[in-house]
Amino acid sequence: MPRPSRTAYPLSWRLLDAAEAVVGAMRPKRPEIVVPALFLAPAILLVAVLVWGLAGMVGDSLHVLDTATFLPAAEASLGNYAQLADRPIYATVIRRSLVAGVIVTAATLLLAFPYAYVMVRTSSSGLRRLLLIGLFLPFFIGQVVRAYGWLIILGNKGIVNAAITALGFEPLKLIYTYETILFGLVQYMLPFAVLLIAPAITAISEEMEMAAASLGANWWRGFTTVVLPLARPGLIAAGVVVFTLTLTDFAIPNILGGGTNDFAANAIYDAFFRISDAGLGAALALVLTFIGSTIVGVILAIAGAGTLGLGGRAGK
Amino acid sequence: MSMHDDEIQGASRRQVLKSGMIAAAGAALAGTPAMLIGRRAFAAEPAKPAEIIVRAWGGVWVDALDQGVSQSFTEATGIRVRHDLTEDNEIQPKIWAAVAQNRVPPIHVNWDTSTNATKSALRGVTLDLSDLSNLSQLLPVARPKGLEGWPIVNTYSYVYVLAYRTEAFPDGAPKSWNVMLEPRFKGRVALYNDGIGFHPSAQVAGGGKVSDIPGNMAPAWEFIRKLKAQQPLLGEDPDFTNWFQQGEIDVACTIISNAREAKQNGIPVAWTVPQEGAKVDTDALWVPKGLPENEAYWAKQYVNHAISKGAQQAWTEKLGLPGVQPGLTPPADLAGDPAYPTTDEDFARLISVPTPVLVEHERDWFQTFKEIMQG
Amino acid sequence: MSAASTSPRGKRLVLWAVVGFDLLILALPTLIVLGASFTAGNIVTFPPDGLSLQWYEKVVGAYELRQAFWRSLWVAVVCTLISLPAGTLAAIALARWRIAFGRSLQVYLLLPFTVPLIASGIGMMLLFGRIGILGQLWPVGLACAVINLPFMIWAVGASVNGLDPDLENAAANCGAPPVQTFLTVTLPAVMPGVITGALLMFVLAFNEFLVSLLLVDARIVTLPVLIYNSIRSVITPDLAAVSVVYIVVAALAIRALDRLVGLDLFLRSK
Repeated sequence: MPRPSRTAYPLSWRLLDAAEAVVGAMRPKRPEIVVPALFLAPAILLVAVLVWGLAGMVGDSLHVLDTATFLPAAEASLGNYAQLADRPIYATVIRRSLVAGVIVTAATLLLAFPYAYVMVRTSSSGLRRLLLIGLFLPFFIGQVVRAYGWLIILGNKGIVNAAITALGFEPLKLIYTYETILFGLVQYMLPFAVLLIAPAITAISEEMEMAAASLGANWWRGFTTVVLPLARPGLIAAGVVVFTLTLTDFAIPNILGGGTNDFAANAIYDAFFRISDAGLGAALALVLTFIGSTIVGVILAIAGAGTLGLGGRAGK
Repeated sequence: MSMHDDEIQGASRRQVLKSGMIAAAGAALAGTPAMLIGRRAFAAEPAKPAEIIVRAWGGVWVDALDQGVSQSFTEATGIRVRHDLTEDNEIQPKIWAAVAQNRVPPIHVNWDTSTNATKSALRGVTLDLSDLSNLSQLLPVARPKGLEGWPIVNTYSYVYVLAYRTEAFPDGAPKSWNVMLEPRFKGRVALYNDGIGFHPSAQVAGGGKVSDIPGNMAPAWEFIRKLKAQQPLLGEDPDFTNWFQQGEIDVACTIISNAREAKQNGIPVAWTVPQEGAKVDTDALWVPKGLPENEAYWAKQYVNHAISKGAQQAWTEKLGLPGVQPGLTPPADLAGDPAYPTTDEDFARLISVPTPVLVEHERDWFQTFKEIMQG
Repeated sequence: MSAASTSPRGKRLVLWAVVGFDLLILALPTLIVLGASFTAGNIVTFPPDGLSLQWYEKVVGAYELRQAFWRSLWVAVVCTLISLPAGTLAAIALARWRIAFGRSLQVYLLLPFTVPLIASGIGMMLLFGRIGILGQLWPVGLACAVINLPFMIWAVGASVNGLDPDLENAAANCGAPPVQTFLTVTLPAVMPGVITGALLMFVLAFNEFLVSLLLVDARIVTLPVLIYNSIRSVITPDLAAVSVVYIVVAALAIRALDRLVGLDLFLRSK
């Protein structure tokens, strides 16, 4: 960070002057369009890498597999999309992913909000530190190892069932179910959600809450009528992140699902890798991307601008 | 994590050299094209790479390959062998893409199911192996089915047995695949997650005939639908070993090596070939196209070494599987086991589906199986 | 709502019940992995089957693991270096200016989350193969930057929302030229978001296994891919030990961050 120092014309000043000169010289004709475009260009280009790869898959999806040569058929057709419609398994896995997206999002927000709230509002810096570390540490051991951790904890001979059988009950089937996957996803998403909600809570002044309290609102009403609405930008951001990541998740259904609770991403994997059918996998990937993007578009339209930083000024 | 410090149990350097010499002598006598390779191997060998990469399955599988084949290969040639544990299904599109895009493929040797290897051969991404000196000694089962020449070589047979926890069967081995449907095993049955190896057994257990495969598989799907109500666990090779160890399952349809691994780890597990029979299949080795010439040469030498008698004995003994060299000594615990087939009679008791049928129809079976299980 | 739960004590009770539950489920797998890594047995179990450091010896002695560790570190650095400027600038632009087709742009920038990672991986594998950069390490970092970019944008976006536009205007009114305003007013204001974002990007790239699985091969395998491949092959306690290495790295990173800038930074909005 260049700061004025005591010596005359330090290097940082001269660098800064040079930068100003360059910017001044380049001063575009319509800065209100060009400057934002320049700011956005790197991000747009990065995502373009993804789109470029995706574009190749559009072509792949239009050719069915020829099982005589295991090469894609020469002529283009919608055969792969017809297969997606005809085979009920694809509707099943997409529905399963969508339902999981809704449940996991709701549960994660419910669990993340109080955590973020306490973390921001607590007067004890020790507690705040503990909560931050509690958030970051599991982050580092990754999704796969964490999922296997749950297998050890919740398995037939795991800790939970050991406690249950010690009390004289029959062991419960706690892994390889849909509910286990949802639980694993919530645990995985929690840090993301807290991190996205916390800044929104920080932005709410404590005086506002106190004012609500002094006007006689009990904490619950103050919470729901003052804090929650003001924290909406964070909640929407966290909600969109958790929903999209759940919708497209692969590892947790794969590891905790026991093979009978596949999500759409697992079906895409199977098409590409298990039955060597890149066209079918590409078609399914594109359909899932379309569904996800449409839902996000609708959420943004309903929640309005200003929720994710877009048009932040107008939102204020 | 393939970090093995066990002592070398594989073929010794002497065996490797001997098998190579015999082959070279045989080739010289017969005057086959193999002679050229044999001579080149002694005269001007292509430059040795520092290492070759062999894709392998994990657990007992990679241990067996390392001790049975790779260590003795390194000893004889000085070339290090790195085992890549990428899934067979995942390496396939990577190799296909590499060949299509004229890139160097990610591995030197692929250890693959014969069905998947055949798909790669059909797609034309495999190198011709017909000049390998050890091919001529092999049993007929080693020859690829439904393909011209030797784009791949089968390396051993294996049976998808009915494995069970002995405590769950105090009266002895289960007689039929139908035990999987017993209410007491609800949630405690396991299959491969695409049903591989199970479809033909299910066909017979469901009252159908092997000869109806692939035309009419309705009995198989009927049986698998009933099994779905049992809430089976679906996984991959190591999952079975794991599930037996963790007490999650009582019965499974899996390859004998996985059950044997659990047993050797002290878990009370046994296996049987039920009265309906059990599917027998083969695995294969092949070398992808697009490698630098010298690396391709040494990759092929690795395959040649893997099918030599010494390596076959060590490798397949550890896996508990019958190899493709005649006259191998079966492991003591498997001699006479119907799940360790060596004679024609042994094979007749098992269910064998021709590789070309598998290549054409297996993907449909996987899809149908998934459809039932995900419903 | 009963009287008890509407009292301030009720508030503390409700909040703490949730926070306690959160902490429990966040910490449990970490603790289990930690415990399992000290087992003297051959199977990952909890409680561990006797105590020993044998798996740590194995991990430290494994050349491949160390190589993979350094590669992952490199991938994480590349990812952070690429995504940090791109995400920061985009977040500031999105918050400061009204962008034409803003909603479409927002959906576009969200593609990394709505495209399933498995498909992103395959698409980039084919693309990178076609243009001849597959098999190198930096494209893995680039891919990680692409698939996690929304996190960076939003981490910064969250602080931009807290940025007071009047401050920038004030600086401009006082005669500060645009670059100086940007560097001395705008950037410091969004710094908490930038740091949160950078840490997120680093951690996510350090852990990324699915897209990396498709972009690396045995010659350049990274740690998460090595772990994933091994864990699918056979789960031995050395993996638990590797995970503990991760935890230690995390602890060190968090401590360094705390020393350098203070952890409270994550929560400061201005």
